Formats: sequence, C-alpha cells, structure tokens
Amino acid sequence: MTEKEQLTILEKWLGLHKGLIFKIVRAYAVSVMDQDDLFQEIIIRVWHSIPTFRNESAATTWLYRISLNTAISWTRKERKHYQAETLDHVQHILLENKTPVDERLLWLYKEIYKLDEIDRSVILLLLDGFSYKEMAAILGISESNVGVKINRIKKQLTGKSKNYDYYGI
Amino acid sequence: MEFDELQQIWDAQNNEPLWAINEKALHNRILSKKKQASHITNISELLLIIVNLGAGSFVLGVNLLKQNRNIFMYLMAAWMFATFLYSLLSRIRRIKGTRRFDRSMHGDLNHAISVATYQVRLSQIMRWNIFPIGALSILSAWQGGKLFWVAILIGIAVALVWYAGNWEHSIYKTRKRELEILQKKLETKD
Repeated sequence: MTEKEQLTILEKWLGLHKGLIFKIVRAYAVSVMDQDDLFQEIIIRVWHSIPTFRNESAATTWLYRISLNTAISWTRKERKHYQAETLDHVQHILLENKTPVDERLLWLYKEIYKLDEIDRSVILLLLDGFSYKEMAAILGISESNVGVKINRIKKQLTGKSKNYDYYGI
Repeated sequence: MEFDELQQIWDAQNNEPLWAINEKALHNRILSKKKQASHITNISELLLIIVNLGAGSFVLGVNLLKQNRNIFMYLMAAWMFATFLYSLLSRIRRIKGTRRFDRSMHGDLNHAISVATYQVRLSQIMRWNIFPIGALSILSAWQGGKLFWVAILIGIAVALVWYAGNWEHSIYKTRKRELEILQKKLETKD
C-alpha cells in the first residue's frame, strides 16, 4: 500500500468517524494539550494500522479498538502537558467548537473520566451502541464478563446522577 | 437520571462534534511523527546487535594485528559475538511471536505484556553480561602489562554500567507490573 493510499483511507475514516475518536479523547484526556496529544497519538496508530486492516471487521470496530488501546497506554504513561512547549508555539490540531455544550454532557464526561481505564472503555462502547457480542470481541473478554461490568458501571453512573438531580446543577 | 436519559444526553453530541480538525497541522504532525513510532524495544535490540558485532570485530581485529596476542581478548571477542547472536535470535523470535495475539484489547494487552516480559529478561541478561566483559577486560589489561589504575578504571566503568542497567531494568519491571494490573482489571468478573 502506498503512502498516498494510506492517507486517503485515513482522511476518509476521519471524515466519517472523527466523532468516535473525539469522544475517546475527551473521556481519557482533560487539558487541551493532553487532548491534542492523545488525538495525535491515536491518529498515528490508526495510520500505522491501515495496511493491516482486512475488512474482516467494520471500520468503526477497528477504529474503536485502536483508539481505546492507544488511550489506555497513553494514560499509563501519564504524560501530562508538555513543559517545554508553550501554547503559543503549538499548532493545535483540535479546534474547539464555539457552540455551547450541554452541562449534563460535561458532567457525564467528568464521571466517565473518574472510572478506571477499562471501565471507561466499556461505558464508551455501550453508549456508542455496540452490542455485548461486539464489545466482547473488541475487549477480548467473554460476553458474560461484559454484562457484569456494564451492570456495575450503569448502577454507579445512575447512582451518581441522582446527586446531580438533587443539587440541580 | 435513568440510564436511558444518560444515553440521550450522550447521543445528542453526535449532531454537534466537540471539535473541528486543523487538517494542515494534523498532516504535518503525521509526517513528522510517523517515523518516531518504532518501539523502544526495536531500538535497544538493534543497538545490542550492532554494538556487540562492532565491538567484537574491533577487539578481534586489534588482537590479530598485535604482535603479542592476548587470549583474554579472543575470549572477549567470542563472548561479544555470542551476545550478538543471542540478541539477533531473540529479535527474530520476538517478531515471529507477534502473530500469536488476537486483535482485541485483551490480545493487545497480552502482546504488550509479552514485549514487557521480553524487555525485562533482555535487560536482566544484559545487566549481568557486564561482569564477564568487565572481568575479561581487566584480565586482558593485566596480561598486556597495563597499570593497576587501568583495572580500577574498568572496575568503575563496570559499576556505573551495572547501576544504569539496574535503573533501566526497574523501569521495565514497573511497566510490566502496570500492564498485568490492567489485564487483571479487564479479566476480573466483579
């Protein structure tokens, strides 16, 4: 596969599925610099993975797996902010949309961020409509294990949302 | 809120993406970063292979050109060639082994753990490797009639390399432990 073909596929995937990557970036990185860094890391990994993509799975499943694995290993490295780079020198890849964001969505992202790396993957897959079977294939664990994890996380999130309702934030 | 409501809040963002992509900046970063993606294991393996092959050939060449040939230098060259071969074979085995893992998060974690285990083993072997090299260097210096302080300097160099090797080894061990914790979290039915 030539570099040009690789880039064409990447651009096509980004056009169709960038929202999926944005959600993962937002769930795993908080500061603007970290989000930019993680997004970049994911794109590089996706770029490298393109020649090995065999159409055996849907592009979204493939992208989710690569992006989640990258996000998890990125979190492990605990790279927070580049001290040497100031905001003035960095050419940002992610440009924030100026439209107001639902406060409840911000709250949800905050709560997702509080979960551990594995649970974060599970809830992102669930919220994005993956079936237990697909989730089990992406995570490499049994469907029953996925079910157990989902029940616990759902309980945790709905429980916390009651406080949110109570304080009426 | 019930989970269905959380789901609705989540789905609403699909209509309005969080960010826009600065495509020019992204393209520039891809071009500058894609070459840096090769794994650290790759670099350390290649370094071991090249350094041992180069140093072994150098020691052997120097000894062959000398009038008073030194048995310990021959032994040292042989040891370095053996290390070169071992590193080369380990690298081939590691690359072949990457095909064993399935394409899931669990498979990727298993692969990462296998690479980490390999790094731990390699750094451990290379850490101990400094002793025979150091001993053979001291012995060849002694046979070549070098001064006592040369042996002391070699000893200090060995100690420094051992210390640096220890530090590197502990980094790999910590990384491996973190991966194992992550894998346990993924596998646990809670």
